[in-house]
Amino acid sequence: MKNVVISGYARSPFTFAGKGALTKVRPDEMASQVVKALVQKTGVNPEDIEDVIMGCAFPEGEQGLNVARIVGFLAGIPQGSAATTVNRFCGSSMQGIHMAAGAVQMNAGDAFICAGIEAMTRVPMGGFNPAPHPGLFKDYPEAYVSMGVTAENLAKKYDLSRAEQEEMAVESHKRAASAQSAGKFNDEIVAIVDGNLRVEEDGCIRPDTNAEGLAGLKPAFDQAGSVTAGTSSPLTDGASAVLVCSEEYADANNLPKLARIKSIAVAGCAPEIMGIGPVPATEKALKRAGVSLDDIEIIELNEAFAAQALAVMRESKMDYAKTNIDGGAIALGHPMGATGARITGKLASLLKREGKGLGLATQCIGGGQGIATVLEAC
Amino acid sequence: MTIEKVAVIGSGVMGAAIAAHVANAGVPVTLLDIVPDGANDRDTLAKGAIAKMLKTKPAPFMHKRNARLITPGNLEDNLDAVGDCDWICEAIIENPKIKQDLYGRLEKVRKKGSIVSSNTSTIPLGVLLDGMPASFAADFAITHFFNPPRYMRLFEVVGGPATKPEALDALRQFGDVKLGKEVVDCKDTPGFIANRIGIYWSTVATGLAYDMGLTVEEADSIVGRPMGIPKTGIFGLADLTGIDLGPHVVGSMLKLLPDSDPLCLQYDADHGLTKLMQKMIADGYTGRKGKGGFYRRNKTNGKSVKEALDLQTGEYRPEQKANLKSAKAAKAGLRTLVEFDDKGGQYAWGVASRVLAYSAALLGEIADDIAAIDTAMKTGYAWKWGPFEQIDMLGTDWFAERLAADGIDVPPVIAKAAGRPLYKEEDGKRYMLGLDGEYQEIVVAEDAWMLADKKLGQEPIARNGSASIWDVGDGVACLEFHSKMNAIDDQTIAMVKQAANLHKKGFKALIIGSDADNFSVGANVGLVLFAANTAMWPVIENGIQEGQNAMMALKYAPFPVVAAPAGMALGGGCEVCLHADVIQAHAESYMGLVEVGVGVIPGFGGCKELVMRNVTNKKRPGGAMPAIAQAFEAISTAKVATSAAEARDMMILRDGDGITMNRRRLLADAKAKALQLAENYEAPEPIEINLPGATAQAALHMAVDGFVASGKATAYDAVVGGQVANVLTGGDTDITEPVTEKQLLKLEKEGFLSLIKNPKTLDRIEHMLTTGRPLRN
Repeated sequence: MKNVVISGYARSPFTFAGKGALTKVRPDEMASQVVKALVQKTGVNPEDIEDVIMGCAFPEGEQGLNVARIVGFLAGIPQGSAATTVNRFCGSSMQGIHMAAGAVQMNAGDAFICAGIEAMTRVPMGGFNPAPHPGLFKDYPEAYVSMGVTAENLAKKYDLSRAEQEEMAVESHKRAASAQSAGKFNDEIVAIVDGNLRVEEDGCIRPDTNAEGLAGLKPAFDQAGSVTAGTSSPLTDGASAVLVCSEEYADANNLPKLARIKSIAVAGCAPEIMGIGPVPATEKALKRAGVSLDDIEIIELNEAFAAQALAVMRESKMDYAKTNIDGGAIALGHPMGATGARITGKLASLLKREGKGLGLATQCIGGGQGIATVLEAC
Repeated sequence: MTIEKVAVIGSGVMGAAIAAHVANAGVPVTLLDIVPDGANDRDTLAKGAIAKMLKTKPAPFMHKRNARLITPGNLEDNLDAVGDCDWICEAIIENPKIKQDLYGRLEKVRKKGSIVSSNTSTIPLGVLLDGMPASFAADFAITHFFNPPRYMRLFEVVGGPATKPEALDALRQFGDVKLGKEVVDCKDTPGFIANRIGIYWSTVATGLAYDMGLTVEEADSIVGRPMGIPKTGIFGLADLTGIDLGPHVVGSMLKLLPDSDPLCLQYDADHGLTKLMQKMIADGYTGRKGKGGFYRRNKTNGKSVKEALDLQTGEYRPEQKANLKSAKAAKAGLRTLVEFDDKGGQYAWGVASRVLAYSAALLGEIADDIAAIDTAMKTGYAWKWGPFEQIDMLGTDWFAERLAADGIDVPPVIAKAAGRPLYKEEDGKRYMLGLDGEYQEIVVAEDAWMLADKKLGQEPIARNGSASIWDVGDGVACLEFHSKMNAIDDQTIAMVKQAANLHKKGFKALIIGSDADNFSVGANVGLVLFAANTAMWPVIENGIQEGQNAMMALKYAPFPVVAAPAGMALGGGCEVCLHADVIQAHAESYMGLVEVGVGVIPGFGGCKELVMRNVTNKKRPGGAMPAIAQAFEAISTAKVATSAAEARDMMILRDGDGITMNRRRLLADAKAKALQLAENYEAPEPIEINLPGATAQAALHMAVDGFVASGKATAYDAVVGGQVANVLTGGDTDITEPVTEKQLLKLEKEGFLSLIKNPKTLDRIEHMLTTGRPLRN
């Protein structure tokens, strides 16, 4: 079977929905600038791109229709390349990478743009016209449980104190702020330009986040609970993209190689504790890779909520010291459809930067799922 | 000339708020101030003032977006911006020299014929124009707003001998129609009308309380509601306006007035109260904005205690409720109060005798007619009755005798009255007495009247205890509510139904409105509670049905119906408006469907109208949910618009609905609109809408469950909200099925009846009736 590699990774700045610098930028426009930059950065011949795969959790409005195709046109991807939009909520763009990997190994293409987009300012979470199945909602309301409640459920189940969650949030901001000031995001961030607007820095990181400040916040989802806005990933605008190709194509065309995809997995879990999804997904992916967690040197674990990430780390015995070393979604933001490509691309870059061998990227998914990818250095 | 662009110079409290109110009128305005030393942003004062106003309560802006009509700038870089302004309003420091320096600079940049005015509160125009060129004097006037300019209705206009009449006309017109003010022409004397009397009144009322040994609570219990003064009272008012303001305005008046003026005679720099107030100001006790005033909230041991100042010792002590018999007796009238034999009665007479005599003696000097003075005090100081109306309440002969007995000069107009009232009504007209002792007709303009003006000399077409119907001319009838707070009861509903049939009596249009402060606060829930407590369910069901029938009769009447809300139009009052063809709202209308506050849902078609307005709104994004969600949010949170402009955002007002700035023009505007619609009028076609039913209910439940969990809503809010959701989503329907108005009304009725049987709803009603506030159960 062909080897599959991540050849390049780029993303937009991530900024707060509703008040950040990217609120006025259309999601299709934002994603197209990231894709264009990725093409330039990797030097891939656009003619060779088989498919543009766009992850999006609420693909409607400006990120509706088949937004991947629109982004392809905007980014100057030739007409002969195809485009598809995929939805696995927060796992959407990691799913895109998995689809590309599968296609490469099926001999169904050599180069794929796997991107993700979510403009949470412009398309609300839940979409414009939420229309749940009334019967299912009545008999099994867990199917539609709100994300905040799932975090509260995990905090209870794993007896995670508010202070513990806040400690993690402070650490996430600290890592992200220190990476930012050291310029460690510079080669992944693509400046977004729209008219006179130019946005080139992440906007969600708050370097001055401290335990006292967080302790003063009110619970956001359950007045008797422990999860606050400060220990949740913020609503975010952002886009990301990676170039996935067969290793032989990359070699033949002198394209960069950040990391090789070693295994992939998805798994389901109870929706009311959807945040634990990375545990079964990771287990499967590690098994398929034939490695154990001890062999993994770097982890990118999406921080939907501090309680959720702490529960996963505890259950899977992940070491926080090697997890999210440049900060996680609590600090960076979580534009749902874009997060999968960000953490997978980030992991690939980190393996290279840190000179490590094996890495794991994993995230939880609303509705009760997990998704995981194991990468190895090329 | 017309005023289409305005500049305000000075972004202090008054200047900024004047600019905001000009913006409320939809007129672009430039706001300029000086560049403070060392400022990074040279426009910082004006910009800061706008930013602050966006957070101020009560809000200077009727809608936040009005702030965008104000262009901030500074007097060094942007003075040219006044070049295309029709009116330049100066509201800077009260110093004639500094004002004149500014006028000199304005003279170089303003366009020919533009009007310049000063918002000075005491300085006469003659002083401000001293030494200014004739070209400036011709365009100069005084325009005096009262604080806060959005809410206080008085607009004093003073012209000088050189002021061009057309400039004054333009200011009057703009002040009246655009700014919605009561324009009062004043003569060029210190303090004009309202402050001339008001400053004297405040000096007398506070000083006398001190001299007579009254506590501040006692004084405020008399010079408060019993004397037609806002309930803050005289000392409370000083706390509100700022105690430090007193010496400034009194000092300015003392300088400008002749020594023989009663204010100068009354004022004593060595008076105990004057000394006390000087000390308070020096120590930072300047009122509500400072550490405290005559009253303060003292927080000790986590408890907040209301305290009052002991005027004799100058120390705070816990508040002592006043308990003067005279204050209670005042319900029988002003005369009973001032004749009452206790210190409250004596104090009331002490204040009234001096202030009313002072006011009456000023007739001719500060204004030519008594109505101008009464209007100024009512709209500038929020007195319930003007001084001459008060004298009529006392009786001119009685008043004259008592003044004489007290050794106070009887003012000429009172002597001329010789026992006759100062105001009289005769043959459907109102008259006022002049200094010449002759009655002069008070002429009411055809485009600016109150219902009281139309009622003169007329009997209603129909009347019951809660509502009446009047002929307001030209084939238009006016339905007036007049129950307590204009609450809606079965008699109101009966009159609505009768009004909907007025075409049979030859009327071609109907307007609904009154002179009351509030259009209607909603249904009389006391009656509903009584019926529920005695399990008279059929009575309640019938009440809902009758209300729905009446609203539908209004909506489908064969002639136009225009609702003219002002003040609160809540619950059932809002529903009446929603069923009119057109709403002509006063700018200060506070509309909303607030039924959930008492545990029920709108039952007279309010849910139906709001969801239909939202669903049929083409400007909204696609799909039914955004429209339903907007209506749901408004009803389930009992949202009340804080202005007519906000009511438009909520879709209570539609595109064809109008807003009137001046309360006095509201009914006239409504009538004009009704007559316009009456030409070729056709009743609306019934509409049907498609609603998503159960799936949308599930979506709304999901949202509400989140609010309950996070503590933003109570468990019972979710129950009531569930009934709102059921109606707004069409109940048991599918998006492919059209839903009729009748079906929605049926859902409303069922929802209302299910909730009214719930003890928690009854708890909410009872709590509202006893405390005036909603119960969060």
